Amino acid sequence: MYRYDEFDHQFVQERVTEFRGQVARRLTGELNEDEFKPLRLMNGLYLQLHAYMLRVSIPYGTLASRQMRMLAEIAERWDRGYGHFTTRQNIQFNWPKLRDIPEILDALASVEMHAIQTSGNCIRNVTSDPLAGVAPDEIEDPRITAEVLRQWSSLHPEFTFLGRKFKVAVTGSETDRAAVAVHDIGLQIVRNAEGEVGFRVLVGGGQGRSPFVAKELRAFLPREDLLPYLTAALRVYNLHGRRDNKFKARIKILVHELGIEAYRDEVEAEFAAMDRATVAAPWEEWERIGAYFALPDLPSRAEEDAGFERALRTDPDFAAWVAQNTHAHRVTGYRAATVSLKPVGGVPGDATAEQMRVLADLAEAHSADEMRVTHEQNIVLPHVALGDLYTVFRALAGIGLDAPNRGLITDIIACPGLDYCALATARSIPVAQAISNRFASTERQAEIGPLAIKISGCINACGHHHVAHIGILGIDKAGVESYQLTLGGEPADVPSIGERTGPGFGFDEVPGAIETIVDRYLELRESPRETFLQAYRRLGMAPFKEALYEAA
Amino acid sequence: MAKPFTPVVFAGNDLLDGDSVYLAETGWTRDVRGAAVAMTVEERDALSARAIADANIVVGPYEVQVALEADGAWPLKRREQIKASGETTIAVGPKAAIARAA
Amino acid sequence: MRLLDRTGEIAERWTFVEGDDPVPNDLAPDGTVTDGPVSDGAVILPHARLGEALLLAAERPGKTGLHLENDVDPRPLVEHFGALSLISVAFPSFADGRGFSIGRRLRDLGYEGRLRATGPVIADQFAYLLECGFDEVWLPAAVAERQPVESWLAQLSKVNLSYQRGQGATGQGERRRSILDRRRQAGGAQTGGAQASP
Repeated sequence: MYRYDEFDHQFVQERVTEFRGQVARRLTGELNEDEFKPLRLMNGLYLQLHAYMLRVSIPYGTLASRQMRMLAEIAERWDRGYGHFTTRQNIQFNWPKLRDIPEILDALASVEMHAIQTSGNCIRNVTSDPLAGVAPDEIEDPRITAEVLRQWSSLHPEFTFLGRKFKVAVTGSETDRAAVAVHDIGLQIVRNAEGEVGFRVLVGGGQGRSPFVAKELRAFLPREDLLPYLTAALRVYNLHGRRDNKFKARIKILVHELGIEAYRDEVEAEFAAMDRATVAAPWEEWERIGAYFALPDLPSRAEEDAGFERALRTDPDFAAWVAQNTHAHRVTGYRAATVSLKPVGGVPGDATAEQMRVLADLAEAHSADEMRVTHEQNIVLPHVALGDLYTVFRALAGIGLDAPNRGLITDIIACPGLDYCALATARSIPVAQAISNRFASTERQAEIGPLAIKISGCINACGHHHVAHIGILGIDKAGVESYQLTLGGEPADVPSIGERTGPGFGFDEVPGAIETIVDRYLELRESPRETFLQAYRRLGMAPFKEALYEAA
Repeated sequence: MAKPFTPVVFAGNDLLDGDSVYLAETGWTRDVRGAAVAMTVEERDALSARAIADANIVVGPYEVQVALEADGAWPLKRREQIKASGETTIAVGPKAAIARAA
Repeated sequence: MRLLDRTGEIAERWTFVEGDDPVPNDLAPDGTVTDGPVSDGAVILPHARLGEALLLAAERPGKTGLHLENDVDPRPLVEHFGALSLISVAFPSFADGRGFSIGRRLRDLGYEGRLRATGPVIADQFAYLLECGFDEVWLPAAVAERQPVESWLAQLSKVNLSYQRGQGATGQGERRRSILDRRRQAGGAQTGGAQASP
């Protein structure tokens, strides 16, 4: 994985010193809160309902063991002993004090981490595929591009006070695990007819109040043009994006109002006029960064492992976990394993300091010292030998993180909701817990098959409910929490935005409503191979609506 | 006839610590039950002016409607009740993990 | 108000003409300079009065500036760059960053005159402004009172490196050093992995 050189170190260190000064100037009143707020947000610091919240960047979700251990230490020294992994592959600490933030940032810098641009109206941390470098169908490791973009976008003088936040995601595989179609800019690494590697560029996707699936801006962009082209795309957005209404300020609205053709014309004109050679990252920089993402030296292993086979036969829990939570690896004898942070009845994405340390130890011993955070709020151990999988599984069971539910109905994405968030209008976490408890049975989950439930506690859609197979949106209805359901959303493959079923449900009614939908699906599916999403796309809303609102 | 005035207190977050705080008769308190309650528009405006004057101590002060209970003010809305409790409504962190394991 | 550049506070030699206000007497288009109080005859006119500004510039070279609101496309100004000794770009709020792109675009289009950011920007943006091609900043009194000149100058040495290239004005601006250029100079001596891909 990427390692800082002397310049990266100096940059992050100076940035921490700068923030320390900004805090001091805020305390004297030289900076007022209106001025300080965007500055602290650009260092990942929010003020939430109960406390400050620090969002630490985990670039494209990749973490080394020493970094995970530092996150555990921060959780214990300056927070309440846990952290929350987010849908943007970051981690949030929910209870830090402003007075401690410079020290926390120092601690992060000591392990090559920071909180730069995890919030604010700037280019946010770039997200990517949690199976980058592992997936057999990959054209190129997308983290190379993501790291080039991380550096380019850091304290970009022109794009640090945009009209609104700006999110970029990169995928390098045919199978999109980075949800590029619901980002401001989505990059898909592709090969052209000549076999050159470049990018398919998407623009204007997003969730929030007005969800949009991104449109294609360029079918093929040569690698060397990436930074100039994004500079042009951002400049047009910065100049023409709406500033009159916060809720219409994202690039998706500009692209929608202008039309993709007119937006593209502007970008191409800007791009053509630009001094591209100067703005571009030089080829040797791509090579320099690329070298860090070479596959780690994995000792060669046989295609089969006797101990692994034995454990599969003797321990059905392990067999269920392997079937559901492990993925093919490009190296023979290895798997990538998803550690679900969704134990039944747990808080989605939360991990205690102890759990983080065990994960760090496991990664060090069994996964080439590497972990990945997924946008589903889970952790991946990307390089586990078949012969080590049972050891890993048993260790995970010891810390309660052995749920065999990746992609199943209890692998729920939930925003922090009203329990933490100053913007929320309803609670999310307790709803997730109630659903998880309702569907606790492993057998039942397996019978239902792939089903993504995602919960947002307000219309800003941090819980990605628009792209859930079953989405839940909590709103405030005359002082009472009410939950609207949407069906048929999907972030990747053939992306779609979910449709609302109808009137909302009360807090206590949600698990029952979900069960009604699931039962109707089980009744109507053509075979156990037809997933919920496939069935919904075949049947449409009507049978589910009927089950929810008329059957009673 | 004018609508009856719903009593309010002023809430915000401590600049240095981030904790929820409430404007008291003097200074700020972390306990909503110790907050100064405005019973009239005039009292509300006076509290508001005091809250805003503390902009370098407390961030984002705003008014919160309350009911007057025996031991002091308590917010009417769920959001403000959760804020006033100082905690999440669910068990979180190491304690929750231990409880689940049990 | 306060005017400053990378050296600190500087004297204002320009008179800002707002709306339809008349150009001060001391700048009469006949070229005679009378006893203007501060100005040495230099004026900044609003963009809507471009034609008038160009007439003035023809008679009084070096003393005509133009003020742009931040929703103005600067591209049509290219043919007049020679006549405009100063271009001022409005920053109605420090959070409204359109001016950064306008500055960058003006420099990319070849503008070599004085570039001014006008509005309540904050010290923490000073380096970015210089890197987007601005030479100077005009601050309203309310911001100037709270933010001492020392904070503005200190800001320039807070973060000394940047990941971008090609930022900075055409020679005028203080710029952070580009990490990409520094790495290039170092000759790729510090690659980390075993073999180079892609």
